[in-house]
Amino acid sequence: MGRFTFQTFKIRISNMLITAAALLFLSQTQAADKPELTVYTYDSFISEWGPGPQLQKAFEANCECSLKFIAVEDGVSILNRTRIEGKKTKADVLLGLDNALIETTRQLGLVQQHNTNLSGLSAHLNWSDKHFVPFDYGYFAFIYDSNKTPVPVTSLEELIQSDAQVIYQDPRTSTPGQGFMTWMKAVYGDNAPAQWQKLAGHTVTVTKGWWEAYSMFLEGGSDYVLSYTTSPAYHLIAEGKSQYKAALFKEGHIAQTEVAAISRYSDQPELANQFLSFLISPEAQKIIPVTNWMLPVIDHAELPEAFDQLIQPETIGFTPEQLASNRNQWLREWRQAASQ
Amino acid sequence: MTHISDSRWLKSAAVVAYSLVILITTLAFYGLIGFDGAHLQVGLLTDPYILQILSFSLKQAGLSALLSVALALPVARALHFMPQLVAKKAFLSLCLLSFVMPTLVLITGLVSLMGRTGLITPILPNDWNLYGLNGILIAHIYLNTPLAIRVLSQQMAHIPDTSWRLARQLRFSRWQQFTHVEWPAIKPSLLMLLGFIFVLCFNSFAVVLALGGGPGSTTLEVAIYQALKYDFNLSEALTLAWLQFTLAGLIFALIARMGKLNWLSADTSSQRWQPVLGRRSQHLHRIFYYLSWGALLLPLLALLPTVSEAKLSNIDLPGLLQAAFFSLLLGFAAAILAMLLAWLLLIPIRRASLNRLENQRVVLQWLATHTLVAPAMVLSTGLYILLLPRIDLDHWGMCWLIFINSVLLLPFVIAQLKPRLLQFDLQYGRLSANLKLSISDHFSVIWPFIRSVTKGSFALALLLALGDVAVFSIFGNNTFATLPWLIYGYAGSYRMAEAALASLLLLAICALLVFIFERHQKTQTATSASDKMTRTPKND
Repeated sequence: MGRFTFQTFKIRISNMLITAAALLFLSQTQAADKPELTVYTYDSFISEWGPGPQLQKAFEANCECSLKFIAVEDGVSILNRTRIEGKKTKADVLLGLDNALIETTRQLGLVQQHNTNLSGLSAHLNWSDKHFVPFDYGYFAFIYDSNKTPVPVTSLEELIQSDAQVIYQDPRTSTPGQGFMTWMKAVYGDNAPAQWQKLAGHTVTVTKGWWEAYSMFLEGGSDYVLSYTTSPAYHLIAEGKSQYKAALFKEGHIAQTEVAAISRYSDQPELANQFLSFLISPEAQKIIPVTNWMLPVIDHAELPEAFDQLIQPETIGFTPEQLASNRNQWLREWRQAASQ
Repeated sequence: MTHISDSRWLKSAAVVAYSLVILITTLAFYGLIGFDGAHLQVGLLTDPYILQILSFSLKQAGLSALLSVALALPVARALHFMPQLVAKKAFLSLCLLSFVMPTLVLITGLVSLMGRTGLITPILPNDWNLYGLNGILIAHIYLNTPLAIRVLSQQMAHIPDTSWRLARQLRFSRWQQFTHVEWPAIKPSLLMLLGFIFVLCFNSFAVVLALGGGPGSTTLEVAIYQALKYDFNLSEALTLAWLQFTLAGLIFALIARMGKLNWLSADTSSQRWQPVLGRRSQHLHRIFYYLSWGALLLPLLALLPTVSEAKLSNIDLPGLLQAAFFSLLLGFAAAILAMLLAWLLLIPIRRASLNRLENQRVVLQWLATHTLVAPAMVLSTGLYILLLPRIDLDHWGMCWLIFINSVLLLPFVIAQLKPRLLQFDLQYGRLSANLKLSISDHFSVIWPFIRSVTKGSFALALLLALGDVAVFSIFGNNTFATLPWLIYGYAGSYRMAEAALASLLLLAICALLVFIFERHQKTQTATSASDKMTRTPKND
């Protein structure tokens, strides 16, 4: 390759960079005349059948602004992205973190306090967080096909002792998986490893994410699959199928609350607050349950009948602080016990 | 002796190409190290869980490689010894399709075939469980045995007629024929294949995640993903990445050292003289052949019942077509870039090869194709971390997506292009150098010679690029959703039948491309036959 020098190479590279920078500059000067609110969220939220498009239309009708969603893979990717971007982030609002991520996000200083009025939230949520506003919640539950399993198990204990085929998600890569890990700790405490081992004996597989598990179950891959209490509502409303049901467990269920917060580096906190208030308004709360398939956070939200038939579990679990500080230890315990 | 690489302009272009591929890996690692002061954690290497992952990664990759090659050998021999087999060409195309099949599609097929309620599960043993080592091995064997079949049968075709004649004159037994005639011909490819398949399986990600069945069967690549994604533990990811890079890199360096893999291309020799097989042996070979037809087709056929459940009225046809269009568009861009880079990267390699500078050739080749061993997860995440605060990725993400994909395609494109270019150098290199051709004349001389292999490699690159989900999940943009991405989207919102239909569309596009690819290979065989007239007696 001989005579070609590093100097020439440097010139080439710098020419390329100049061109790139020029193009970048051009694309950024196309500023909108209305203020723009940038919301980071996860992919399925803004898919055409997700809540995003309808929420955008409803919010833009009144805000004199334009709402821009930027979607990443999932809740934890929202956290990672804002963390990597630091103060250069474009986000005004982070939408789609959950109670397991709240504490880490707060400790990293990525969000600022909101001034949204929370009095409209359902009393049972008992919500008073200064940084995060809940926009939907759901209980983790095991779903079964009542045509195949006429008499379901009635407790976590019964499920573990049974020989029913179970599919759940990996707690290292999936939110329901993490929820299940929390569930096991809430019910069994230090005794969880022995129970994990027992469950491993009749676990078909542990999948990376929710849909792999759920689609395998729908294709007959197991008797039970870990999902949400709201899953049967989807089948009833969208498919008219009533055989899929959630098993109600005596020990109580773990709830996942999805939250939104204002980025610490947002330059339009007022508009962001307006959006948070909109999220818990009756108008938005009517849209979210039937598009994101979760439960509304306000009482008397307008819902299809199918939601009345869902099971109403007791809530058990841990605070966000407890979740954040114990998570790694619990994960190690799980991978040790379940890999044997 | 002068060579094409003596052109100043091309020399600089080649240096830029090398700089780019090296830079991309360096920047990725720099991205990981530069954020939050991540560092190597040597202590992790003695952690029992990590050791377990490491031994599982090695075990499954070793088994996958051995089994794939062992299963391929009898089929390759059947293809070679029995030219009268029915639909041989179609079989070879099916082999290629299996090798490039998007793992997402394969996994769906395997689950509907032998998952718990699979089509053939009733005839499997009672305690059958697809998930775990079983599933991982089956999927890896499905993906890699076809590659081995193609390479080995081609290698067998290289055995000179004189060897067979001699074997007959010496009245060799079947076994002696195998050990004295066949084995020496296939041994280098066999070792190379073992290494290549080992590296592919060692870095396996989607298959292991989907069919692993739990924390017991985790590979390093999966562990890196988990460390990066959920724990955001950059130090752990970095340590595991180096571990993987070193191990896979060592194995890969051995491969490069061992020599030449003349793989997917249909090659130059045509069969003239064949040993005659006994009747029983013919039957046996026929059985191997038809069994592998069945094994390759079953997972695809198993997809059909799920699709038939899809209500056609529910299907968003424009959305599907748009996604197919974007997939092809991005695939085309990545494949073109990969071809260009590969061609430039090969210039110094060809030169080293021509001048018999073995060590230089091995080092250059390793650099050019090192993305085969660099964990793809680390490349994309490392660059993401580095670029995100510096560049507007919402605007520029697609460019990086294309660039990263093209770099990941390089090992495959180079393996494909290299033999043909080396062949050209040997046959016409001296002549064209003596004629002192200009660059454009040089191109017009070389083009007819490499036209078909170029089109073929392009199709291969495009096929492989079509399956990408990993890089898209990081750099992609929902406005340009590709087919695999749409499949995830559908499946993620309870739309399984639509997901199956989209999978089938993706598979159909792949099949069509394979068809085109094979057509070009055929024309190549035709031209090669005429090359033979001018060919030097021994060229590899």
